[in-house]
Amino acid sequence: MLILAAPLRASLVWENPVVELHPPVSAETTVAHFKYKNTGDKPVKITVVRPSCGCTTAQPPAEAIAPGAGGEINATFHIGDRSGPQTKTVRVLTDAPDDQGVILTLHADVPKVLEVKPSFLFWPKTEALGPKKIEVELGGDYPVSKLDVTSTDPDVKTAVKSLPGKKGFEITVTPPAGNRPINASLKIDPHFPKEKPKLYSAYVRIDAHPTQAAAATATATAAPK
Amino acid sequence: MRAQLFRQVLLLLGLAFLPAIGQALYFRGDPAWQAPPADSGQVSLAQATSWGATALWIDARPDAEFARGHVPGAMQLNEDDWNGLLPQVLAAWSPQRKLVVYCSRKSCNASHAVAERLRHEDSLTNVYVLAGGWEEWQKNHK
Repeated sequence: MLILAAPLRASLVWENPVVELHPPVSAETTVAHFKYKNTGDKPVKITVVRPSCGCTTAQPPAEAIAPGAGGEINATFHIGDRSGPQTKTVRVLTDAPDDQGVILTLHADVPKVLEVKPSFLFWPKTEALGPKKIEVELGGDYPVSKLDVTSTDPDVKTAVKSLPGKKGFEITVTPPAGNRPINASLKIDPHFPKEKPKLYSAYVRIDAHPTQAAAATATATAAPK
Repeated sequence: MRAQLFRQVLLLLGLAFLPAIGQALYFRGDPAWQAPPADSGQVSLAQATSWGATALWIDARPDAEFARGHVPGAMQLNEDDWNGLLPQVLAAWSPQRKLVVYCSRKSCNASHAVAERLRHEDSLTNVYVLAGGWEEWQKNHK
């Protein structure tokens, strides 16, 4: 009698609601496989699969999951220009009447070949146009023995030297003389991985500096007669 | 008999309260457990709006959401294409400007991540995260 009175139960059990990923340096995407099983006695349908950000995509299965059957939600994380530890979540809801939903979590440790500090150099008009330095640290035991730096503005000069006793390099950036405002990008190429080097960037902004002659004229004009 | 019972109750209550009183004295001055996390980088919509043209609005949402609508004049900057989008932001930036980063309310990790990179990697100051994000803006600009 009791058995007959027991309601049918739908229950999705997740084998691994938290997934750790270690994508290789050159990876553009990485996929987390979240496995589930219907341990209830009634079919259950996954109705909502909602990633926490636009960088992660995942789809619900088209069919309802039969009692005893299993499957997996594949969440694809698009790495983009991210590096270091990343955490993304996916919210899953089913049509089970008492379902509170589940949060699936993906931890991805995106390799950082280089750390560029600072990655923005700024010369306001009040500051002399002297050289500035960028420090580049190697993020791991990667075989990086040289860096190539290219500026989108040929007048911005760069020089690279390796730092003795340190795992890294120093880039000296020298702005051109003159009063031309400059917004330039520096592409930093570690030549690693060999098949598809991971490029890094730094940015240079030089506000228009009045030339000495222009400054003298401005001072003379402003001076009381 | 009643007096003895009363003394025993008092004794039991005293024993029960003793560890709590000790803990309260030991941890006095510490923040309450329920206190909201301190985030000096958050700014309310009213405050950010009051900055007028000094505010540089940064939209940290994905391309499709930005295309559907954004704060007027906002520049897009997200981690999907950080290297491609950052130069335009740095070109518009000046030390006097206040950067207000937002994403949608539900996925506001993106705005915190973008703000953190601007502060840490590019050494920019005056970088704030809009409390409530794009949804808060929409609610107040219908």
